[in-house]
Amino acid sequence: MRRLRALRPVEVDERGLELVSFCGHCGLRPAPLAAPPASRVCGHCGLGLVLQANADLAPRQDEPFLIVDTSLSVCAMSAAAEELFGIDETDAVNKHIADFLVPADANAPSAENLLALLVDVAGGSGEACTTVVRPRQEFGVRFWARIGPCGSPRAALLVLS
Amino acid sequence: MRTLKTSEAAALLNVSPNTLRAWERRFGYPKPQRSAGKHRLYTHGEVAALRDALQQGLSISSAVSRAREALSTDTHTLVGALAGFELDRADSAMESALALRSVERAVEEVLLPSLDELGERFGTDSAPWAFASRWASGWLRRAQRLAPPPVRRLAILVGDATRSELDPDALAVRAFELFCGRSGARVLALPVGSVSGLSDVVASFAPDAVVVAGHHLADDDVALWAYRVRASAGPLPMTQFRGAHQAAPVRTTGSRILSPAPFAAHRELLAFIDERRGDGDRESAPSVAQVTRTLREAQR
Repeated sequence: MRRLRALRPVEVDERGLELVSFCGHCGLRPAPLAAPPASRVCGHCGLGLVLQANADLAPRQDEPFLIVDTSLSVCAMSAAAEELFGIDETDAVNKHIADFLVPADANAPSAENLLALLVDVAGGSGEACTTVVRPRQEFGVRFWARIGPCGSPRAALLVLS
Repeated sequence: MRTLKTSEAAALLNVSPNTLRAWERRFGYPKPQRSAGKHRLYTHGEVAALRDALQQGLSISSAVSRAREALSTDTHTLVGALAGFELDRADSAMESALALRSVERAVEEVLLPSLDELGERFGTDSAPWAFASRWASGWLRRAQRLAPPPVRRLAILVGDATRSELDPDALAVRAFELFCGRSGARVLALPVGSVSGLSDVVASFAPDAVVVAGHHLADDDVALWAYRVRASAGPLPMTQFRGAHQAAPVRTTGSRILSPAPFAAHRELLAFIDERRGDGDRESAPSVAQVTRTLREAQR
């Protein structure tokens, strides 16, 4: 009985990979619940919606991240990303992702590659991957970016590290 | 229009009242009005639009943006109706706006922005503008007639310095009069251009404050009118609404300049009058020294 109590419910995606929940603003992972919560609003900060992503992809504490839809518009920006880009989420929402990030990978220099990847991931046909990006009009600064699906509704999650 | 208390709105959104207040600070939405007791009152339509948007949103910012968009459909409908010269549809658009908002917000968020858009699209010297501004002016006058009777002992004299009904500022002035009237004040608007018989009207109306609205007339005409008003009613507080100072800053002779937005302007005017009345009360109240002196004299 004690062992059963120590078990926690694990949600998995269609490929059997573990899904974790995180807040789209503070990035905090809420404790798993037996029943779905009544509200999607983060109970910790109250300023973000709780989303789900693959456990390998989901942001860890203080990692800046952005969420982009199929039209490549920014739909959410974490508090850490707000600090990184020096812009409030309220001003960033509905702006094009290229206003914030451009590819910095020498092997994939064209902007279209990153944008096509994001469209594929947000649309549900792309696979999770890692690439190198830099802030627009900033040189000498690069980030590893983990890109993969999140939701719901389905979108592309871009975690900078 | 249905309104909700903070606890009711929070329950509808499944969040705590503190979260709702945090959203108001960060996103400016939902934007509550205040009750007579200064408590927050949320419009049901705004809260319901946000609840629907949150179900499909990826962030609260995007949900707020979507909810705002849903509410702005009334503006698009009104612009479309007036551009198509459909009076019934324009009336219906305002009815829909009133289902979700107070009269003040329906005017400021739907009627005036729609007319601004039409003015930019067709020009304010065009026939479509004349059609739309006449309809809007008529709507505002109807709303003023339906306003509750004055309950405050407060009379506001508006000196109308707009060109005509077709002056773009005229609608803002009508809206300002409506808001003052709905706040319980008596409002009288007189054209600044005519001074004949003005002293009799002013003496009878006994205004507590004067607002010069619009900037079509020359400064000399406005000064003459203001002089006549003061000669009849005494040194009243003077304010300017949508005056020439908006186009180019000018020196004002002690008159208060109100915000160009009618709702903010009417709030500023009422606060200004209350402030002056407060000062008046303090001036008329006897000081401690005066009371002590009177008591000593009485004891003797």
